[in-house]
Amino acid sequence: MKIAVSADGADLEARVAQRFGLSEYLLIVDLGTGDLETVPNPGASQQRGAGVQAVLLAISKDVKTVLTGWCSPTARHQLTANGIEVISGLSGTAREVVEKYKKGELHKQVQATVDGPAGRHRIDRDAIRQAARSSARQFASLLPILIGVVLLIGLFNAFVSREFLASIFSGGPLLDTLRGACFGSILAGNPINSYVIGGELLKHGVSLFAVTALIITWVTVGLVQLPAEIAALGRKFALVRTAISFVMFTGVAAITVFLFNLVAG
Amino acid sequence: MSSMKKAIPKSSLWKNRPVRMLLFPAGVLVAYGILFAVMPEKASAGLESSGNIILNMLVPLTLVFVLMLVLNLFLKPAQIVKFFGSQAGMKGVILSAGAGIISTGPIYAWYPLLKDLREKGAANTFVAIFLGNRAVKPFLLPIMISYFGWIYVLILTVLTVLGSVAVGYTVGALVKVQNGLSLVDK
Repeated sequence: MKIAVSADGADLEARVAQRFGLSEYLLIVDLGTGDLETVPNPGASQQRGAGVQAVLLAISKDVKTVLTGWCSPTARHQLTANGIEVISGLSGTAREVVEKYKKGELHKQVQATVDGPAGRHRIDRDAIRQAARSSARQFASLLPILIGVVLLIGLFNAFVSREFLASIFSGGPLLDTLRGACFGSILAGNPINSYVIGGELLKHGVSLFAVTALIITWVTVGLVQLPAEIAALGRKFALVRTAISFVMFTGVAAITVFLFNLVAG
Repeated sequence: MSSMKKAIPKSSLWKNRPVRMLLFPAGVLVAYGILFAVMPEKASAGLESSGNIILNMLVPLTLVFVLMLVLNLFLKPAQIVKFFGSQAGMKGVILSAGAGIISTGPIYAWYPLLKDLREKGAANTFVAIFLGNRAVKPFLLPIMISYFGWIYVLILTVLTVLGSVAVGYTVGALVKVQNGLSLVDK
């Protein structure tokens, strides 16, 4: 069984970090073998989203318990929802808290907070509150780019004529799909922006083939994020996946419009 | 075992995602400011057009928020991602596709977890299926339907899921994994 200690340093003599999300390291201790794995927290240097990075790290390392100084309600909710116990309010060195955990001294405090029907009721309400916070944060993160896109479309509408667009997207289904796919593959980001751009292009008379190809390749291909994908998943995987996705989803776009025209008449 | 990385300077403005996100709308606003000075009628037309788009999006955006809330309350993508790493066959396909569909946030946040899963032996097929299915976002369907209609959205969604599975299997066949490392990358 593995446990994770959020720590300010890379060994067991380091102090327990006071904030789980911003801790410099997670010390992963295997209680069965005594092995120690030191993992830098990728979110330690981030102003926002640090907790998510630390949560994903803890989940990926398959830990059963997190020992920390303080854990945000959102991170705690995500950890517990993924079956990871969180024990907070701890201080001292990582070695001290691991020893206390082994002796069962830390569990008494956890038991007191989660037992009984009142505790369960509180957790359920907490879950709703945290889901609302998380949704508000997700929603707020959509807005700046979305507003920028909408403002840009306003300029586009003011300057670009239907005739101009028709001259670009008038190559027939095959060429239009290919052009839309190339456009969508270069861009990336939240899919909502591709819906808005695609919808407005459609109003300007751009063919549904081009718009569909743009929407579908926007997320599935994404040349902008290719370097990050190569770094994380390897050059061959990223390049092969990107190339196959471009071909496959360009085809999917064409078939989608063909079927839609068939169904909708 | 220790996996150490160089620390990223905390002061780096570019690393600050909220600041970075504001750069794009700020840049567009600057363009509007310049345009108002030189071509006020075009700038007004652009602003009016943007206002109409936002008005049309208000109801679908409200639905988007409600759907986000429901999904955040009941679905745990990280748990499913962790689980699909140990599955095979149809179960692995369903779990990886499901995890891709309900995953939220920028893809960059998911790369460390996917990398770790691959190092533990998760098939390339499932990682590719996960990445492809990120194009399907249930909570954004109201916006998509408001622009394109539900028949189109239904066809596109079903074909995207099927296409992602096909991409996954093709990638799995072409990129073999041995001991968690791509053969070519070794």
